[in-house]
Amino acid sequence: MAAPRSYVLWSYCGRGWSRLVRTCGPRGLHSSLPAGSLGVRFLSQEKHATQTHFGFETVSEEEKGGKVYQVFESVAKKYDVMNDMMSLGIHRVWKDMLLWKMNPLPGTQLLDVAGGTGDIAFRFLNYIQAQHQRKQKRQLRAQQNLSWDEIAKKYQDEEDPLGGSHVMICDINREMLKVGQKKASDQGHKAGLTWVLGDAEELPFDDHKFDIYTIAFGIRNVIHIDQALQEAHRVLKPGGRFLCLEFSRVNNPLISRLYDLYSFQVIPVLGEVIAGDWKSYQYLVESIRKFPSQEEFKEMIEDAGFQKVTYESLTSGIVAIHSGFKL
Amino acid sequence: PLWRSVLRELWDINFAPLTVRQTSAAMTTLWLRVSLLYPDHIPTSPLQKALLAAGSAGMALYDPYRHDMVAVLGETTGFYTLKVLRDQMRRDPEGTQILQERPRISLATLDMDKLRSLPEGSFGREYLRFLDVNRVSPDTRVPTRFVDDEELAYVIQRYREVHDMLHTLLGMPTNILGEIVVKWFEAVQTGLPMCVLGALFGPVRLSARKLHVLVSELIPWAVHNGHRAPCVLNLYYERRWEQPLAALRKELGITAVPPCMQGLA
Repeated sequence: MAAPRSYVLWSYCGRGWSRLVRTCGPRGLHSSLPAGSLGVRFLSQEKHATQTHFGFETVSEEEKGGKVYQVFESVAKKYDVMNDMMSLGIHRVWKDMLLWKMNPLPGTQLLDVAGGTGDIAFRFLNYIQAQHQRKQKRQLRAQQNLSWDEIAKKYQDEEDPLGGSHVMICDINREMLKVGQKKASDQGHKAGLTWVLGDAEELPFDDHKFDIYTIAFGIRNVIHIDQALQEAHRVLKPGGRFLCLEFSRVNNPLISRLYDLYSFQVIPVLGEVIAGDWKSYQYLVESIRKFPSQEEFKEMIEDAGFQKVTYESLTSGIVAIHSGFKL
Repeated sequence: PLWRSVLRELWDINFAPLTVRQTSAAMTTLWLRVSLLYPDHIPTSPLQKALLAAGSAGMALYDPYRHDMVAVLGETTGFYTLKVLRDQMRRDPEGTQILQERPRISLATLDMDKLRSLPEGSFGREYLRFLDVNRVSPDTRVPTRFVDDEELAYVIQRYREVHDMLHTLLGMPTNILGEIVVKWFEAVQTGLPMCVLGALFGPVRLSARKLHVLVSELIPWAVHNGHRAPCVLNLYYERRWEQPLAALRKELGITAVPPCMQGLA
């Protein structure tokens, strides 16, 4: 245990360091060193108790909250444009796949945490509406099965197109919520939405309130992920589902190298050119590297009390959808 | 001091219960911090510089109000030209003083009241008039980030801050024609690729009439003066506020402003 660590330090001091630096550049070193947790965590971590990571930087926990807030405040207006540029539009497919996996029924109460610009919430509403329209079409084709009540209701247009479904969008960042609200009014989503300012680690909701809890690309910015998971467990009804869409570890070594190259060389440049903000996008790609792997995150979800936890890796592990049930 | 904090970080990393991956990440952060040559420095690889140069050039053409893109283009493409400029500055006594003392031009360092109290026709008074008439402020320049040498980072920062002085010296307003003329002057004087590109591609969006005026009168005038004048980065502008503008123009060999642009700056 001591040996690998001092080897790492020594390799930084000698000529190996300048060779490493010249070949890999300042960011690629962690991927060229042997992975895996060889260190044993001691109980006495007082000095590092309130230290956490902000990308590759070490900061105190109070600082991290403020810094993450500033990052999202500055990227809020260009968030969607940058998502499209960085993922070449593939993020839309990932979010669609999350909805397909969710397969919500009318009447579902959804809580979308860190859902600032509303991508998941709008997709949810569209999904429910599309389901409702399909159901109406089926009914119309089989006219003779409609009761008088239903026909009368159709003429009166009383039926709620959402069937009682509702989505609560919760985000810690005011700017992201503002952008989301504007998008909602532009796209014409009026009913079935509520916007709430709140912290994922301390949700402003009662226990056993929601059927589904989703968090898409938000949980890696939370300071205490275990607390966020416990809050998720708290606010879900028994039988409720937890779904998390997040960047994860790539399992293929070739794609991993290309992905690292793209992440560290191209994405901050895109951030600078399009949004005028290099550092926020540097934080983004670093925070992706700091997030635990699919298996580790699965264990964290199980620790929070969820059962039947599964995960599905998309695009060879660039993102993963984790799902768990509160039983 | 930096070395003490670096040693402390190394000590912490050595004795902290970190995994191999965390140790390497911590060492990377430490290396980055040590390798920063100046406070705003962002180290970039050659690939990143190439992508930045291409992206910023495209974005600057697409959205002319993105001045930060023009600045980034200058930083990523001007490394060798900046060296030439720095050597030119070193050969001149006033230039070496500037390199040693590193004066900065911003609202904090300028004494606006003193400049306002100077007599009419002096350089400082005319500079202030230029700022007021065109409603610009010396504080809108982005700091240098992508130059990998701290002296050259200062040289390009100085070039940016001196841009407004050049407007005053040449008598050019801040409309598109005036900016292009100043860019041509700077291109001839400094040879920075960003200035050359800006001078060549700036007129792309002009009307035919303006283009005619530009090509027939203004560009020859700018090029002629650019060749005649010594390196404008060598002037310690902060010491020349009281000098009459006409005398300063004579010293640099700048001829009279063309009639079409007179009285606009």
